[in-house]
Amino acid sequence: MDTILKIENVSKSYTGHKALDDLSLEVPRGAVYGLLGPNGAGKTTLIRVITRITMADAGRVLLDGKPLKAEDVFHIGYMPEERGLYKKMRVGEQAIFFARLKGLSRSEAERRLRTWFERLNIADWWERKVEDLSKGMAQKVQFIATVVHEPKLLIFDEPFSGFDPINANLLKEEILGLRDRGATVIFSTHNMASVEEICDHITLINKSRNILSGSVEEIRRTAGGNNFEVLYNASEEAFMSALGNFATRTTESRGTVGGYTQTRIHIPNDEDVRGVIAALNDHCNLRSLNEVIPSMNDIFIRAVNGTL
Amino acid sequence: MKNIYLIISREYLERVRKKSFIIVTLLMPLFMIGMMIAPTLMMLYSTSDQKQVVVIDRSGLIADNLCETPEVTFIREDRMSKSEACNIYNEESGIFGILYIGETIEDRDSVQLITNSSSSMMFEQNIAAQIESIVEHDKLKAYDIDNLEEILASIETNIDLATYVNDGSGEEESMESTSSGVNYILGIVLGMMLYMIIILYGQMVLTSVIEEKSSRVIDVMVTSCTPFQLMMGKILGIAAVALTQIGIWALLVLSASKFLVPAVFSADVAAANDMMLVAALGTITDTGYLASLFACLVLFILGGFLLYASLYAAAGSAVDSIQDSQQFNSIIMIPIIISIIIMMSVFNDPNSSIAFWSSMIPFTSPIVMIARVPFGIPVWEIIVSLIVLYLTFIATTYLASKIFRVGIFMHGKRNTWRDLWVWIREK
Repeated sequence: MDTILKIENVSKSYTGHKALDDLSLEVPRGAVYGLLGPNGAGKTTLIRVITRITMADAGRVLLDGKPLKAEDVFHIGYMPEERGLYKKMRVGEQAIFFARLKGLSRSEAERRLRTWFERLNIADWWERKVEDLSKGMAQKVQFIATVVHEPKLLIFDEPFSGFDPINANLLKEEILGLRDRGATVIFSTHNMASVEEICDHITLINKSRNILSGSVEEIRRTAGGNNFEVLYNASEEAFMSALGNFATRTTESRGTVGGYTQTRIHIPNDEDVRGVIAALNDHCNLRSLNEVIPSMNDIFIRAVNGTL
Repeated sequence: MKNIYLIISREYLERVRKKSFIIVTLLMPLFMIGMMIAPTLMMLYSTSDQKQVVVIDRSGLIADNLCETPEVTFIREDRMSKSEACNIYNEESGIFGILYIGETIEDRDSVQLITNSSSSMMFEQNIAAQIESIVEHDKLKAYDIDNLEEILASIETNIDLATYVNDGSGEEESMESTSSGVNYILGIVLGMMLYMIIILYGQMVLTSVIEEKSSRVIDVMVTSCTPFQLMMGKILGIAAVALTQIGIWALLVLSASKFLVPAVFSADVAAANDMMLVAALGTITDTGYLASLFACLVLFILGGFLLYASLYAAAGSAVDSIQDSQQFNSIIMIPIIISIIIMMSVFNDPNSSIAFWSSMIPFTSPIVMIARVPFGIPVWEIIVSLIVLYLTFIATTYLASKIFRVGIFMHGKRNTWRDLWVWIREK
């Protein structure tokens, strides 16, 4: 795996409270990487350590294999959770200011910003003052200011908070677009739906620790535990005998869907799923067999409760 | 460097474009002129209530010779005792007070003024002067000189002192005419201007840092530039605003000195006998001299502002709100206030040792020195003072940047002087 950012054993304490406890993780290049966790788990502290706003008490942050330096941060696109824009400034002017701070020329900054403003449907806000914008509107401006210099590493702290579903979707599309153009995106959230849709990798942080890390596919499969949902049309005896020793039924309650019986079974790891399908198909008029993949929400709750 | 420039221009444009900046810049000169003219007008037109004073004269010498003026009239009550008079002419009577003159005037506690309300220094001096002159006159009479009145009238003299700065030529036409009165006014105006600008713009740096911190723009900024760039950008941007404002004022004053004042006063100056007025007009129409004063002003304002602005920036970084900044703000104000106090004493003797040293010590030097400059002090003093000032500015900026670097990231904690000291020593 090509790693762009590596966090090694980072700890950070505030008076009477440990915000990060020996936390490590690796962010693969070109991924959309989600930092999940309940409120107060340490997500924002971790982000602030990466952006060097907060200094870690122990541990290292490596960018491209080298310890992160102050100048490196200037090439990162960072959108803080508490949005910060100069209230008295006009939107366009302000976006140009931030873009130029990040190294773009005035003309290049304006050209790219105009395109972005068109894309996010805010072109007519260019001359407005920030203090006249709503929270969601200001957030769009902030998002553009964060990405306009096309950094290879982007960090968003709770990017979806304050957005309505339509704009949240728009933002998701843009984040995926940025990834497709080669950027690595790290964002923190407690909104699980957004994770399933756009994250390639996640780290689950709870109580200042990394309790679960990996690709979304992998995690769900592991957490799924080889449970399958079966729809069939046959007597219970026929069904149970078809399962035989290959698998066990996990749910007693049997519903019916369109005349078919619905139930859940567990197939042990060493058993071939195709064998089970063949047996059921022969004796039970099998309609469908689907792997039950738990939602990230379930995984989140189970991981936090320690029942994963 | 590019980042500092960007921050400077952002800070500068945000302020200069404000309507309030334009209004203040144009109105301030009018306000200053008003401030100078107002006291004179008030003196001319204030009909301060005529005070009535009851006179009890046991000496029999004074009461007849007291002169009534627009400020005071006298009522004679020689037969009353002091306590009676005090009883009758109390506060409700509308009488200002009772002047009691004992039999032997020059004895201690012999002349008393018992007032129903507080009196003024001017008023007391007026009464005392009248009595003194009456007694003196009476004593002169005792010498039995013939034609005393004529002699007294003939010896009355009024001197108009013309002051010039020696340029070695010995011809007063070529020498610059000066007047301490004019210098005094110029000194006050310049000193006050510096004081106002340091406070006004210094506070602007303070609020700007606090606002940036509380609006969390700081998080975006520090991931785009170094804290030092941010601090210097803010300080220099606001300094540029101050210089713009002074530049506009200089332009207004200089063009008035070059065109407006000569046009209005040219005819009168020739006829003027008052040397002070001539000197004053000479000064304010000497455009070159005024320009050099402005140059000095700019150098001292810049140095003084930069010195204090770095302190204000450090203070702003260490707090979360304007209210919290008071503890630091009041300490920063102390040397500024001391400067103003010393400045006032400087006018008595611009070359006293306190004037000299306080215009060398960087925290008081901008205000004290600029107030001395109109009195024509040696150029080397100005240069040394400026060098010390700018060197100190570099030192305070270095310390301030160390505080700033840590302070801007601190939220929700009340920082003390000890914290600041720890931050300075941190690597």
